[in-house]
Amino acid sequence: MKSFTSDNTEEHVPATPAELSRLLAENAATDRRPLLPAGGRTSLQFGYDPVSGSVPVSTTQLSRVVDYPARDMTITVQAGIRIEKLAATLAAERQQLAVDVPQAHRATLGGVAACNVSGPRRIGLGTMRDYVIGISAVDGQGRLFKAGGRVVKNVAGYDLCKLLVGSMGTLAIITELTLKLRPIPESSALLWASLPDIQTADRAIERLLTSATRPHLIELLKSVAARHIDSAVHADLSCHDGGICIGIGVEGGPREVSWQLATLKDELIEFGPTDLVEILDDDCQPVITALTEFSTASEEPLTFQAGVRPSGLSAFWTEAAARGISLQAHAANGVVLGHFPDELATLEHAQTTLEDLRRLAAKWDGCVTVLQCPPEWKAELSLFGPAGGQRQWESKIKQSFDPHHLLNPGRFFVEPAARTH
Amino acid sequence: MSTLRTISGGPTDGTESAGAQMLERFRAIVGDDGMLSREDELLVFECDGFVIEKKAPDVVLFPTTTEQVVQIVRICNEFDVPFVPRGAGTSLAGGCLPVGGGVMITLTRMQRILEINLRDRYAIVEPGLVNSHLTRALQGTGYHYAPDPSSQGACTICGNVATNSGGPHTLKYGVTVNHVTGLEVVTPEGEVIQLGGVADSRPELDLTGLFVGSEGTFGICTKAIVRLTRDPAAFRTMLGVFETVRQATEAISAIIAAGIVPAALEMMDQGIVEALEAAFQFGFPLDAGAVLLIEVDGLAVGVDDEAKKIIDLCRESGAREVRSANSPQERQKLWKCRKQAFGAIGRLSPSYCTQDGVVPRTRLPEILDFIIDCGHRHGVRIVNVFHAGDGNIHPILLFDERDEAQTQRVLQASHEILDKCIELGGSVTGEHGIGVEKLSFMQKLFGESDVAVMSDLRAALNPDGRCSPSKLLPTAGACGMEEVPQIKPGRKAPM
Repeated sequence: MKSFTSDNTEEHVPATPAELSRLLAENAATDRRPLLPAGGRTSLQFGYDPVSGSVPVSTTQLSRVVDYPARDMTITVQAGIRIEKLAATLAAERQQLAVDVPQAHRATLGGVAACNVSGPRRIGLGTMRDYVIGISAVDGQGRLFKAGGRVVKNVAGYDLCKLLVGSMGTLAIITELTLKLRPIPESSALLWASLPDIQTADRAIERLLTSATRPHLIELLKSVAARHIDSAVHADLSCHDGGICIGIGVEGGPREVSWQLATLKDELIEFGPTDLVEILDDDCQPVITALTEFSTASEEPLTFQAGVRPSGLSAFWTEAAARGISLQAHAANGVVLGHFPDELATLEHAQTTLEDLRRLAAKWDGCVTVLQCPPEWKAELSLFGPAGGQRQWESKIKQSFDPHHLLNPGRFFVEPAARTH
Repeated sequence: MSTLRTISGGPTDGTESAGAQMLERFRAIVGDDGMLSREDELLVFECDGFVIEKKAPDVVLFPTTTEQVVQIVRICNEFDVPFVPRGAGTSLAGGCLPVGGGVMITLTRMQRILEINLRDRYAIVEPGLVNSHLTRALQGTGYHYAPDPSSQGACTICGNVATNSGGPHTLKYGVTVNHVTGLEVVTPEGEVIQLGGVADSRPELDLTGLFVGSEGTFGICTKAIVRLTRDPAAFRTMLGVFETVRQATEAISAIIAAGIVPAALEMMDQGIVEALEAAFQFGFPLDAGAVLLIEVDGLAVGVDDEAKKIIDLCRESGAREVRSANSPQERQKLWKCRKQAFGAIGRLSPSYCTQDGVVPRTRLPEILDFIIDCGHRHGVRIVNVFHAGDGNIHPILLFDERDEAQTQRVLQASHEILDKCIELGGSVTGEHGIGVEKLSFMQKLFGESDVAVMSDLRAALNPDGRCSPSKLLPTAGACGMEEVPQIKPGRKAPM
């Protein structure tokens, strides 16, 4: 195990799951130092600040492909593998993990699972919970355990895969994952259009939900966000000021894709689309990547993610847009990402705006989560909003996996009492 | 009223009076017509679809509201008696067996559809709603509820939630957990909590995902929010006819490996085809070693291309012919045959048992060879009908339970098959659950620390172990926890 100190920072980089297990067991038995699980470090800004003295535990040395029986459409890999490397391995067999991940060259699979990262294609293809079929991890006491298995259908034992996906490293450090894979489609396409306003876009989305086609992506972008994406990929997505850009993705065999493109254009006509752009096959990925990066690619003071019932999207969007917030939505799911403008760059403004947005989201059974903000605001801002109805169980589960509160103490929702601010 | 004789403990003197007192409290909650406590009435509830282990509960209650469930659970805690939730009792692994007796909470009178929201693509339903009733209510809307276990005409949504049920079409659409976004749960202590919800992207643990498949050990589901799925625009249903089982399993591997995800991919061997033909006269070829029932769905413009690829792959694997279902009626009949396959088994033998193993899909030829060999070695006739696309096998072992020696050979053969599934990198249950039936396999499938972590989790959420004791995990350690050794194979109606 490499353990080193430089500039007052220590870090553990275990080379095997057994080493990690020993490290955590020893820590729980002796020093009880708070630990900061880290993969590609793309989400470390998320959540409250680590308590002082937290020691990073890096999974980057755990990056082996354990087993890739490509004909079974599954793969077992260690958690520290970078998403870009995993994608390349899978692409060689024309397969994919169908989850969009920002900063894929840095992000690790374990981190993506722990943070339940997803992107625009979630409507058609699902999220990590739909793909993780087996998991190994080390809990706060150093117990190396597994759940699930390597087969695509399996109900033996508790589904700890679901529990650990999205648990933000607060219950255990993931060491290995088995994934169900999907084939890379033969063909794919994106159709872009400008629509005059959010109300029109909302009606168009409602129409798309009963479309003869089966889109796997329906994105909305406010004009400023569209320009941002456009400049990233030079896809010529013109979008008028004040207008809304809609992007619709389809995939399948070549005949299916061209038929769907034609059908979508017909279905959209009644909504008065302008500036229709078709993006085909290999040209799609850079645009999807840019859409995926939107949540991270910002110098703006605060970035949030909201989830509301899809029928409430229009109301939420209208209010957020009126505050000058740059917006993107995975529209069919009711997921909205927003960057606050500079005018809201004071803590007081941010607080009031967040409260407004949360009130609105709650009307649509939703919530608003702060993805990033200046570190000095974190002591005052509620990053996750009011506790949901399951908090009581979350605390009990935390106690069961990490009784000494050593994994990411105070950073996330399961243990607000442990916050030191 | 002697039926409460096994209810023991409690805060008052003497078990009889505590039991009688408890019964009166229950009666005040659910009324006379909401409870059964006579010995003859309780007999019906002594087992579920897994009929080999039997134990009648001391009382069966039929609550109609969440509040009633809460009150019942609190009384069980007060009197320190075990309780177990039950839906339609179609579990094939003894999931509803009231180990240690106690109170059975049957949810079949909570069966309303509370909300269908097509715009936001969800429905909120009560736990006792029959699976197919939801799909029926959605007919004509363009949406359906995707999980379709073969028992869907009887099984309930809460039972599906408890076992994370599958079904033929879950190959493409995913099992129950992929379609449940939120739950209302009465905890083992008698509190109501909301897990998950309607909207996406909640900053919380996925406790809905954890609860689904927990076999009643974390509490009682009293409401479920389920996702609705668009109906496919078109289907193509095919029947591939093969000389041998091996050719058929190779075709399955080839289809999956080609990156095709059929809506369903089911295999039936000669033995099952004979029984089906005798029962339904569909026109199945009786001399074929195996047939594959394959369905693709999607856009009308795409299904023919996909069907053609599948036909080619079947031919390359040696299919003698590939027939297509030419009309919706023919398709319906094919599926009826498949879903009722087990009803036809009575024609083959007086008793049978099935297993629910899973192997990686490329290992299907090996496991099928093993099953055939295992049958020969033990002198047991085995037929097969199963969800081939998922690698989820259901070998059916035929026997006569009056013959003790034969019964023991069947049990031995069953265990060898499941051991082989583990050896090939698979699992001992794909969709039926561990229940009480497969408890002894948990330690073969999982290591000591895996079971310890799971046991701790159960202890955290079900601290006194009163809720569904002796299910899913081999570790006991709470009230009512009894060892349930398997001495006979189950005669079950499998999926």
